[in-house]
Amino acid sequence: MHMPPWFWFSMIVLVTWGVVGLLQKLSTNEISAESALIWLVVGFFVIAPVFYPGKVLFASPVRSLAYILASGALNAVGAWALLAAMKSGGKASLVVPLTALYPLVVVLTAPLILRESITLLQTGGVVCALAAVVLLST
Amino acid sequence: MALVAFRSKWFWYSMLCVVCWGGWTILAKLGSNDISAEASQFLFAWGMLPVALVLLAGRRFRMEKNRKGIFYSVANGVLSAIGGWALFAAYRTGGNTAVITVVTAMYPLFAVVLAMLVLHERLTKLHVIGLVFAAAAFVMFSF
Repeated sequence: MHMPPWFWFSMIVLVTWGVVGLLQKLSTNEISAESALIWLVVGFFVIAPVFYPGKVLFASPVRSLAYILASGALNAVGAWALLAAMKSGGKASLVVPLTALYPLVVVLTAPLILRESITLLQTGGVVCALAAVVLLST
Repeated sequence: MALVAFRSKWFWYSMLCVVCWGGWTILAKLGSNDISAEASQFLFAWGMLPVALVLLAGRRFRMEKNRKGIFYSVANGVLSAIGGWALFAAYRTGGNTAVITVVTAMYPLFAVVLAMLVLHERLTKLHVIGLVFAAAAFVMFSF
């Protein structure tokens, strides 16, 4: 059976990020959340050269560069909080799906910050996400 | 019953993660208008660096030497970055964006299956219903 390229790339996402959820718990079983985050950043730098775009990077608008750097910093704080949640006794099977509900914040703030409108379906997603937060936290 | 979790540290750390990752997504969206996906992925590591350095300073530059923990954490970073690259690559193939987004948004459920198989974690019926709601939310957010 022939599968299109997007399918295989999507499977890579599913498998790598799924395994990441497991590794986050395994790492915090062994070391502190702070150390786990520091080594996670080392992991990002191991693979970063693969993505180096060349000199074109320095021609990018400063504002866009600042946004991306700030997004990396916020991602790191979020990753530390996730690792701290697992270190504090949170089960991987609860913390991973709970923290994956972060689009809830995006959907609620996008109209204000990005001037994007929320669809009826996304409103339904907000309701489902809030129900999931309550149920997963029981 | 939910009040029990609301008193738990892990729940509030998780909520902090949700807020930070929400902000991360918005900033990444604002920045990606003029910067390619690969360049964003490259810069991303540099954005994470100051946070790692602050945490390192907080530990007075003393690192734990547990090899297993270090291996799991570095692998965590490498796989996270590969997953991010694969997501951009999937979008670039010209496949249906909505389908790709929905399929990849299911990674938490794969993580749950792994946690049950490898870590032998068990879920209550309410947790399973919560996962169904979460899966529905992932799909709805994708459109």
